[in-house]
This record gives sequence, structure tokens and C-alpha cells, in this order.
Amino acid sequence: MKLRSVKYLTGEGVKSIWANRLMSIASIGVLIACMTLIGLAVLLTSNVNQAMNNLETENVIMVYFNDRNSVLYGDSETLSSALAAANSSGDASGTASTASGSTSSTASTTASSTASTAATTDRYQIPESAYLIHNEDEAKAVCEEIRKLDNIHNVEFISSAQGLQNAKETVSDGGLTTLLDEDNPISHGAKVTLTDLSRFDETVASIRSVKGVDKVYTVRNLAQTITTIKNVVGNAGVWIIAILLIIALVIVSNTIRVTMYNRKLEIGIMKAVGATNAFIRFPFLIEGVTLGLISALLSEGVVYFCYRIAAEGLKSQFGGGMIRFSAMAWQLLGIFAVIGVLAGTVGSLIMISKYLRKEGSEFRAI
Amino acid sequence: MRTINEAAFLPTDLPVQTPPEPIIEFKGVSKTYVTGTHALRDVNVTIRRGEFVFVVGASGAGKSTFMKLIMREEKANTGDIIVNRFSLSRMPKKQIPMLRRTMGIVFQDFRLIESMTVFDNVAFAMHVTGAGNREIRKEVSRVLSQVGLGNKARSKPLELSGGEQQRVGLARALVNRPDLIIADEPTGNVDPNMSYEIVALLSEINQRGTTILMVTHDHNLVRDFHHRVIMLEDGQIVADNAEGAVL
Repeated sequence: MKLRSVKYLTGEGVKSIWANRLMSIASIGVLIACMTLIGLAVLLTSNVNQAMNNLETENVIMVYFNDRNSVLYGDSETLSSALAAANSSGDASGTASTASGSTSSTASTTASSTASTAATTDRYQIPESAYLIHNEDEAKAVCEEIRKLDNIHNVEFISSAQGLQNAKETVSDGGLTTLLDEDNPISHGAKVTLTDLSRFDETVASIRSVKGVDKVYTVRNLAQTITTIKNVVGNAGVWIIAILLIIALVIVSNTIRVTMYNRKLEIGIMKAVGATNAFIRFPFLIEGVTLGLISALLSEGVVYFCYRIAAEGLKSQFGGGMIRFSAMAWQLLGIFAVIGVLAGTVGSLIMISKYLRKEGSEFRAI
Repeated sequence: MRTINEAAFLPTDLPVQTPPEPIIEFKGVSKTYVTGTHALRDVNVTIRRGEFVFVVGASGAGKSTFMKLIMREEKANTGDIIVNRFSLSRMPKKQIPMLRRTMGIVFQDFRLIESMTVFDNVAFAMHVTGAGNREIRKEVSRVLSQVGLGNKARSKPLELSGGEQQRVGLARALVNRPDLIIADEPTGNVDPNMSYEIVALLSEINQRGTTILMVTHDHNLVRDFHHRVIMLEDGQIVADNAEGAVL
């Protein structure tokens, strides 16, 4: 096809949008309705996903390291083993290493043993060889080891002093916390958050296997719930968007079918004067693509206003935690443009092929 | 104002003294539709360049099929048709647009695009061939003047009378300077006076060398304009007043 023919046909395609303005408005209206629904579904899915991601990052795993405190204030079995090791070696070069790996006690156990043994710490003379982490630098090194693991979102080191401070803020018993000041029973530790909660178990196992890690406290049920919600919302979102896309294509095809029916005379005339199929298709294609792009732009505006109204309404309940429209604007416009161009192109090409198979005399003026 | 008699309609490649060669040949052509209707039976006919031929016959005689076969809207079941050197029985589908560009077609129902102006309706046929804008402006203005519609270029078809609309259709058929004009009952939707004007216009075009094939039901026109007449009946040619015609 010659360049001047392309120019002429492009102009004709754009002009025919105005010439057939009623059908153009109908096509644009249908496309906007479909794209608005798709856009809102995308935004809803994204918001739910973000909320779940926020929950994910707030689902903290507490890790305590194997230091003097974990040996001294651990469960009775650990303590007995450490003492036995200390008594048998009698000096700091003893080979006791029983604390490591036998750490199934809970936080409450630790707290209760803390109360009963705090006063006798010095008497036990725990040898350094009974624990693996001797100072804050070593504890931070363990944090780095954890950080290197796969699926780790963040690792925040909590020193034993900070841990005690945190405990004081949450425990209201002033007398007890004053007593604890004399011999801090809290081990060095870290707050760890994961990137993907669906790999929760394997990641926790990896953390446990890091040398120097003593106890790992998790809220596994929350992780599972978040993962389930994310999966459900993700799958439902994909299905909703896919179904809406199919509905959009069907409606747009039907709208174009009506348009084509109205213009079959025009197609017949084109054929009668010797137009090739490509020549006939081209303006319809341009028209379809232009209508698709116009619809995409208008849909962006409609979705923006709908989302703004929804965000205002939900602000009080969600504390303004919804995704800002501007963060999704280009992505949505891209989706709309693709849908619009696809619907316009595929719809017009499929429908016009039906008329191109005929030879002209079937098309009579009304 | 320029008239239709101007030499512009003379085909430039037509030798003046050469005996006219066939422009349309039907050789043993039969057409049966899938419904079982025998539209044409073993038709043999030759139309030479420069002829003006009326095709007449009752409804269902096969006139429309005869025209559709020439335009390659339908394909013959048997026999061969040659139009403007295109052998239609062997011609691939993608060649059909090229065949149609060698002919101008005038329809009973005008077939004008209502949303386009008169100028654009005529120019449209030139755009199809890839003609440039300057050439289009020149040729469309010329042909509109020749059919007497030079002052209606900016009008829309619905603003014109039936006769004027048919002249726009005629201008569209002429604008690419075709060798052959096929007119399918061009006077069917216009009043008797306008019918005479249209056939007179076609006759003038024919006098400049363009072959005209016109289907009509109007016996008065056939009687008053002395041209070759082919009569179809029940899918066969039953009368042909051409010299040497064998039935």
C-alpha cells in the first residue's frame, strides 16, 4: 500500500469516528464500562495485596542467641547440663557445649526461671565455653548470617540491654524489673521479618540452623492465614479480571458487528470500485484502535474519580492506608491502552472478515 | 462549462483504425446456484470494445447473474469468461480488485456514501488506485463538470435528486477512465425524463470509445436509443441484434 494511501485511510478512519458518532459513542461507552470494572478490580486486588504485604512485614520472628543468659536462664535441663560441664572441667577451658541445640523452652519458662535464679548467677560460674555468643559484636555477626539467608526481608538486632528495656516497657511490675536490672536475663536477639510468608517453615528452619541461634519464636498461624488470604485474593483477582476481559471482548465485538452491519454498503462500494481487502480493512482498524485509545484515556479518568470517592469513604476505616492512585496511574493506563487497542483491533478485524468474504452484490442500499 | 463531449473520455490507448477486439467473451458459460437454480445455460457471446449493449429480459431471466459473472461477484460453473483480457475462470481472488479497476460500475440504487460529499464519493474511487491528491482534485472536478454537477461538489448525496445522485454514481464510474462501464438498471430509480438524460450521457461516453453494458427493463429506452440488444430468457440468450450473432 502506498504511503499516501496510508495517510488517506488513516484520515478516513479518524473521520468516520465522527461520521458514525452514535456507534462510536456506543463503542466507547461499552469499553469504558468494561475497563472501569477491570481497573477497579485491579486496584482492589492491589490494595488487598498491599495490606497483606504490610501484615507480612509486621509478622515478626523473634530470634534469641545462644549467649550466657540463654544458658543461665534456660530450662532446667539446659542449666543442669551447663553446670555439669562447668563442674567437670573446673576451669574456663572446659568443653561444655550442651546448651546449643537443646532450646525448646518457651518465653514463660525463661521468665519463671529468671525469677528463681537471678540471685545466684555468680555462684554458678558458667564457663564461656558453654555458650557460643560472648559479646555484642558476635551477636551482630549472627544477625549478618541470618540476613544472608534466602527470603529474609529485614533483620533488626536487639541487644540484651535493649531487650530488657523493651521488657520493662511491657511489664508493669516495677519491683520485678528493678530486680532484673541487677543481672540482665535477656539474651541478645533479633527481630526478623520474611519476604514471602508462604515459605515460612523452610525459612524458620534455616534461621534455626544458623550457628549461635538459640530460640526462635514465631506466630505460625498468622503467617498461614496471611498466605491463604493472599492466594485467595490473587487467584480471585486474576479470574475476575479475566472474566471481565472476556465480557469486554464479547460486548465490543457485538458493538463492532452492529457498526459493520451499518456500514456494509460502504464495504460493498469499496469492493465494487476495486479496493483490496487491506485497503478496506485499514480505516476500520484505525477506527478501532482510535476508539480503544480514547476509551482508555476516558476510563483512566472515570477510575480515578471512582477510586477517589472510594478512598475518601474508606479513609476513616483504613487510616489512609490505601495505595495512592498516582502510584498505579501509568500501570492502569497501560492496561487500558492494551485492552482498548486489542479490543478495537481484534474486534474490527474479526467482524470485517465476515463481510470481506462476500463480493459486493449482497450489499444493497436500504 | 465543459461538456461530456470533450476528448477527455477518449481512451488514450485505443487505436483509431484497428478493428475492435473483444472486451467481454462468454464461452459456453453455465451458472447453477447452490439452491439448484440454473441461472445461465451454455451462454456464448462476444462484446467488442466500443460497443453499447442493452441487456434485457424478464425477472429471473439471468441478467443479474450475467452482470455478476462479468464483475466476478460470482464464478461460472463451466465455460470461460474473458473480461478486459482477464480470464475469470483462472483468475486468483486477489486479482479481482485489479479487474474491477478496469471497469466502472453504475448501480440502480446509486450506492453513494451518505456521510461523504459528492466530491469525496467520486474521489474515493481514485484513492483506491493510490492516485495523488493533485491528480484526484483535477480529475474529480473534470468529471463532475462533465456530468453537470460541477456546482454540487460540496453537497451530500441526500441533498440531491435521484437523477443527480445517479450522475454522481456515473461520475464515480468514469473517474478512473475505465474501458468498460457496467450499468445495472441505472434508470430504475429515476423519472422517465432523467432516464433519457442518463442514457444520453452514457451514449455520449460510448461515442468516445468506452464500452457500455447496460441492463434495463425499460423498452422505451431500448427502442429510442439504437444500440445492440441482447435478450435473455430462462438463462439463455434468445435474441441478439449484433452483426453475425449466432444463436
